[in-house]
Amino acid sequence: MEKSEVQAKLKEFFMSNLGVDGDILQYDTPLFGDEVGLDSVDSLEIISFVDDEYGVSMTGLKKETFLSIDTIADYIVANA
Amino acid sequence: MTEEKNRCVVTGLGMICAIGNSVEESWKNVLASVSGIKHTKTVDTENCYATLAAEVNCDTLDDIDAPEEKDRASKLCLKAAKEALADASLAKGNDDPRMSVIIGSCVGGAVSIEHYYKNGKNKEDILKMPIAPIASQVAEFAGAGGIVTNVGNACAAGTISVAYACDLIRAGKADVVLAGGADSFASIPYSGFLSLHALDENGCSPFNRCTGITLGEGAGVVVVESYAHAKARGAKVYCEVLGAGVTTDAHHITAPREDGLCQIEAIERAITNSGVSKKEIGYVNGHGTGTAKNDNAEFLSLHKVFDGENDILSASSTKAMTGHCLGAAGAIEAVFSIKALTTNTVLPTLGYTEEDKEKLKEKAGKIEFVQNVPHEKELTAVMSNSFAFGGNNASIIFSKNAGDVKVSSSKPNIAITGLGLVNPLGHTKDAYIAAVKADSKPTETSIHSTIETSEYDELGIKMAFYRKLDNFSQLQVVTGMRALKDAKLSVTEENAKDIGNIVGTSEGALGSTYDFEELIGEKGNAKGSAFKFPNTVYNAAGGYLSICSGLKGYSVTVTSGPVSGLTSIAYSMNVIKEGQEKIMLATGNDENIPILDNLFNELGYKAKSVAAPYSGADGFVLGDASTSLVLEDDANAKERGATVYAHILGYGNGRKNVRFGQLSGTEEALEKAIADALADSGVKADEIDVIYGFANGMKVVDDIEKTVLSKCFGEKPVIAIKERVGEGRAGTATLQVAHAALMLHGDIESDNAYVFSNGSVSRKTVESSGLKKALVISYALGGSYTAVVLGK
Repeated sequence: MEKSEVQAKLKEFFMSNLGVDGDILQYDTPLFGDEVGLDSVDSLEIISFVDDEYGVSMTGLKKETFLSIDTIADYIVANA
Repeated sequence: MTEEKNRCVVTGLGMICAIGNSVEESWKNVLASVSGIKHTKTVDTENCYATLAAEVNCDTLDDIDAPEEKDRASKLCLKAAKEALADASLAKGNDDPRMSVIIGSCVGGAVSIEHYYKNGKNKEDILKMPIAPIASQVAEFAGAGGIVTNVGNACAAGTISVAYACDLIRAGKADVVLAGGADSFASIPYSGFLSLHALDENGCSPFNRCTGITLGEGAGVVVVESYAHAKARGAKVYCEVLGAGVTTDAHHITAPREDGLCQIEAIERAITNSGVSKKEIGYVNGHGTGTAKNDNAEFLSLHKVFDGENDILSASSTKAMTGHCLGAAGAIEAVFSIKALTTNTVLPTLGYTEEDKEKLKEKAGKIEFVQNVPHEKELTAVMSNSFAFGGNNASIIFSKNAGDVKVSSSKPNIAITGLGLVNPLGHTKDAYIAAVKADSKPTETSIHSTIETSEYDELGIKMAFYRKLDNFSQLQVVTGMRALKDAKLSVTEENAKDIGNIVGTSEGALGSTYDFEELIGEKGNAKGSAFKFPNTVYNAAGGYLSICSGLKGYSVTVTSGPVSGLTSIAYSMNVIKEGQEKIMLATGNDENIPILDNLFNELGYKAKSVAAPYSGADGFVLGDASTSLVLEDDANAKERGATVYAHILGYGNGRKNVRFGQLSGTEEALEKAIADALADSGVKADEIDVIYGFANGMKVVDDIEKTVLSKCFGEKPVIAIKERVGEGRAGTATLQVAHAALMLHGDIESDNAYVFSNGSVSRKTVESSGLKKALVISYALGGSYTAVVLGK
């Protein structure tokens, strides 16, 4: 699995399911920052998506894993 | 002591829930610590980690008039209403104008929404989907002809309904109010809470393990009556209803504030408004859903309020027995609170093991969190609390004594000091004024507004915030923020709790709720969207507005139909008059998204081609509108140096009960609303210069208006704004008021009105200069009307 593929898919998910503006969201944009404002509800959706799409469970993981699309993609590639 | 004219008493109770189909049965089971939580029998639980619910077991719900026209929530409510009315020994009214109905609900016709989606999209299900029909159908049953509306404040709705009932009685608008709440257990809320991981797979354990909620269903109805009316007819009286407090967190759409700040404010207000000391409250029936977030905040709030002032307080959550009944919870718990008070019994939270009891000691401190079994306790006053999505908090006090409820006798001069408008003609006040000047008309039978990113930028609203909003909420946030800006009102730490808002809506979050159903209907209940679910509650829009602006005051969402855009104004005026808030945002908000466009089309309400008002067409142009008004006392406005667009002099209501979905034959109710509004304002019919009507092109609606206005006002000019903006339901009702204010203030210099003469309709230009008094009217299916009088 290519990391770039995962990054692209994640970005698409953020845009279509979480309403995030694609112009603002880059692969390294801090998700918990002011711009995207990731919260607990978003996290639930991400976890659900990653499980469905890649069969990777992200339940209970530390906040650090969700810092950016990059870090999420890294985790998925490492655990798929 | 509370003045006699302000005393409200409870004269009847009715309820149905998982542990009983009546008050007697439920109460008997509550005393026996019976839990109604079991494996759900009705919804699909495949792949779902939690499968428990507290469902009603009743096979006589259809023993009512026209059951096929009613959603389950209405049926549950009717059962409770019937019991309450009988308990109060009240005969059904004959459209009794002094009997009102206020019902709270969270998911309204969720069962019908699912039924529609899964069973061939039968149009018979459509009118059962929104919250609106519930109060209407209860009013039809009871023969109530006063104010008939629903409260859409999710889990706080039931408590707010009882508070609102008292407000109406103390404002002299009602003698008897059937106040309650109803919600069904259904796939939508089940899947929603499941997606949030908020359900406890082992059954809720409030104030104990706190690992989640269990949903329930049911209805509760409390007959609230003026003391004078009850005394005069020799009614049996349970207790007094004292004061209430309603606030909003301005924090997060689902999670409560961890510091409990605004919960505490609601509780403190209830106590102050009741004129009781904290020591007098012997028992608190808490919200206690079982989530760690709620329960921890609630532990904190109760300690902060009562520690050091009341060492003998008992508290519990009855949700371990009934489940969380959402909009019905506050009403069911009001019944339990009243029974507890009058039988000197404190109720338990179920589920404590010996080990749990030890752990509880530290959290409980001096408060007795009653465990597992009820016990006797001499009680003088009991409090019931409910906290909801959107950050709404409601607290109310029932008492054996009359307390000291003070109601201001001042008659404030209510001014409109700010406007925010979004509708198909434009997204700003200036755009709207220009479009009216250009006499813009719709060119299609379905028109709508879409908020642009640039509008958020202009208002300083970040993508991190607005991305979470559905269309309905986006409209409300933008106009609310614009209205505050127009009023030059900054919300600060100091004034936040002095500013509240009432949102009026016809279909509320129906669009988002249906959208949620489409997803789970296709993919199963385990695939609900946690992101989308919070937007399925009608009060999410008001909640987001509160979060965005920071306002923390009295916030309610009312929903019954287009008329709700005027109800929000009437309710706001009352809240200011009572001294609960200094400033209120009164709004009307209704959207037009493809889902709703389809539904209106299927109902046959949409015109086949663009139809003008009074043209005798078969339907209307469907539009949308969000209109927010800033209201405050004239003296407050002057002190702030705010611009006053116009004054609202008074309002009136009328109702003639017909089936929800009908309007024909209700002319006399519109006449009454107009007469009452004029009387309330101290204005005579011939002083009215212009009327802003609700005509939308559909013959059945327009004919009623034409007949009544001709009768009451002869050939006075009537402005029909819907000829330009389409039928935007509650949004256009409030827009009618905004338009009137803009003309009285001279921003709109003239407009093209209709004149009725000997049955024919002609046009006439009305110049704004010289206008002094205006009347605005609106309607709701089922036969309700409200009229509002404006002055310069």
